Amino acid sequence: MSEWLRVFRQGLGLENPLTVLMIGLCATLAVSTQLQNALFMGVAVVFVLTMSNVLISAFRRQIPDQVRIPIFIVVIASFVTIVDLVMKGYVPAVYQVLGIWIPLIVVNCIILGRAEAFAYRNPVGLSIADGLGMGAGFCLVIMLLAFIRELFGTGRIVWFDTTLISMPAGYAPPSLLLLFPGAFFVFGLMIAASRWLNERMASVRAPKGGAS
Amino acid sequence: MTAVSQLALLFIGAALVNNILLTRFIGLCPFFGVSGNIQTSFGMSLAVVFVMMMASSATWIVWEIVLAPLGVGEFLYIPAFILIIASLVQFVEMYLRKSSPVLYRSMGIYLPLITTNCAVLAIATESAKPGFFKMNIALGASLSLGEALVYTLGVSVGFGFALLTFAALRERLELAPVHRLLAGSPIAFLTAGLLSLAYVGLSGWFGL
Repeated sequence: MSEWLRVFRQGLGLENPLTVLMIGLCATLAVSTQLQNALFMGVAVVFVLTMSNVLISAFRRQIPDQVRIPIFIVVIASFVTIVDLVMKGYVPAVYQVLGIWIPLIVVNCIILGRAEAFAYRNPVGLSIADGLGMGAGFCLVIMLLAFIRELFGTGRIVWFDTTLISMPAGYAPPSLLLLFPGAFFVFGLMIAASRWLNERMASVRAPKGGAS
Repeated sequence: MTAVSQLALLFIGAALVNNILLTRFIGLCPFFGVSGNIQTSFGMSLAVVFVMMMASSATWIVWEIVLAPLGVGEFLYIPAFILIIASLVQFVEMYLRKSSPVLYRSMGIYLPLITTNCAVLAIATESAKPGFFKMNIALGASLSLGEALVYTLGVSVGFGFALLTFAALRERLELAPVHRLLAGSPIAFLTAGLLSLAYVGLSGWFGL
């Protein structure tokens, strides 16, 4: 059980796919204009990542080494198709915005990377931990990025037409944050901030490294 | 408008105004991964142009001949296209290794990486069923094979151009004194942001 937790926690902190490993950036930067979209994207990635991890890990002894990459891709593509059709059917408003990025989960480096680096070599239980942990790390970063961009870029956080938080009246939001360059700027500063946080934690000798 | 100027607009729109890396965020992994020096970026750009052209023609043909007439495109296009791209890249790699060692040395090692590059899948899908990705408003309801190829060429040349520009900037950054918290990837992102700002300035050019 402690092994399970250790693997789970790695995705959140020390091996965070976005801020540390720097993979799967495309979707992160693109959909993080709104907290709501970021959440759905995060959930989609967690689902595909965990399910493909489970399936690949369960069949890891049967999958021949030479053709493993095509097999991984087919497995991932099937789960992505499920997400694609479910989102199109149940949350069409979100699907309209995410559109392109749902099919592109197939080629998200995080998922293929974890299949190859973790699920193919480890038992099912640990692979679930890895999928959930990496997925949670992805969610955390993408939602934080979306929160900053939406709050400061539009002046409020909107959840399906309901305003959750809004900046004080008179706040003039810089639209730069919502545009493409804003994503690069905010993300770059976030990595710098997470480094600073890691340095502080290392100097305090706090046992947990949960922040990203 | 004549056909030639239409195609020219399609090319410019795809390469500059809707630059895939800096205004769409598609294909960022190699953008940060291999932009360390100009030599590798050049090899990568070449490989991307090559693979994208092949992939787009293949998916266009498969979509028109197999998937759309059979009516299974809506739910089979993701596995179908990614498999086409993966096997195509594999064949190209084997062929290049046997037939042209020089070309293989300059771009061969990037070929497997490109299979999982979202830019290739995105553009191959966009060429086969345009409008889906809302990439470029100059695209009509469907593209002819010629238009699809011009569009793909534009996108891939734009990809290479942005990648080379960024690599040149990063080579300079290596020598610059940067604060230790910002050194490495954070400063690369800030630089990419400035570069992207320049491309955003082009939006609306020619009404694209």
